[in-house]
Amino acid sequence: MKHLGAMQADAADQVFAALGDATRRAIVRLVAEGPQSVSSLAAALEVTLTAISQHLRILQTCGLLQTRKVGRVRMCELDDQGLEVLAHWVAFNRRMWEQRFDALDAMLKDKADGT
Amino acid sequence: MVQPAQFDTFTLERAFAAPLTRVYRAFSNPGEKKRWFAEGSQHEIEQYDMRFEVGGHELARYRFKPGTPFAGVTLESDGYFLDIVPQHRIVTAATMAMGERRFSASLHTFEFFGDGPDATRMLFTHQAMYAEGADGPELRRTGWLQLLDQLHAVLAVE
Repeated sequence: MKHLGAMQADAADQVFAALGDATRRAIVRLVAEGPQSVSSLAAALEVTLTAISQHLRILQTCGLLQTRKVGRVRMCELDDQGLEVLAHWVAFNRRMWEQRFDALDAMLKDKADGT
Repeated sequence: MVQPAQFDTFTLERAFAAPLTRVYRAFSNPGEKKRWFAEGSQHEIEQYDMRFEVGGHELARYRFKPGTPFAGVTLESDGYFLDIVPQHRIVTAATMAMGERRFSASLHTFEFFGDGPDATRMLFTHQAMYAEGADGPELRRTGWLQLLDQLHAVLAVE
């Protein structure tokens, strides 16, 4: 992966926006320790089921969280998609150098005829 | 709380369709180096200075443009040239900081090999220490969650 595509930047934007909220960060922190039911999340964070559902939807949309039904209980788990997006962002140095050498390559080709 | 440092080494190899002297000039001439090293579509360059000699300083300071995930945040690379063998090898040591937080210190070795009149091979070895506020290639979830908090602390400063 030499270039950071627009899609990926958008995905990272969504992840960062989702995590800009303290309650959603707390949810991610809780589910990182293991699957949690929706009601136990609401209880742990002292928010209503309606409020927690809205947060969960945002986290699901950006790929940070997934839910599944276990009997009558909806369980929430960490989703690796969102983690992957950020993993790309923090693998900062390598990508940056790849881009620099691409730019160098372009610069050398650009000047190949004239100099 | 200070977290244990993490370490990572990677290498990149590139073949350039230009003579060795030409490629080397792109590393040794400040104006030429700025073009490929510092310029980019995601950031404005606030400062770029380099003095190409052993012990010489190289400082690059950027600010991410609006609309990028780190919009408004500064990124600073601050380093020194440790070893220069003209046309053969350049070694630099540099730290990287985002906002006010230094997140890595690394050794960069560039080795150049002439592969013909218009072909140069370059081997880049990047050896780094990643401090808290960054993460190496082994993204463990616990470290990752802490990183998120730190990123948000950095963003909140802006």
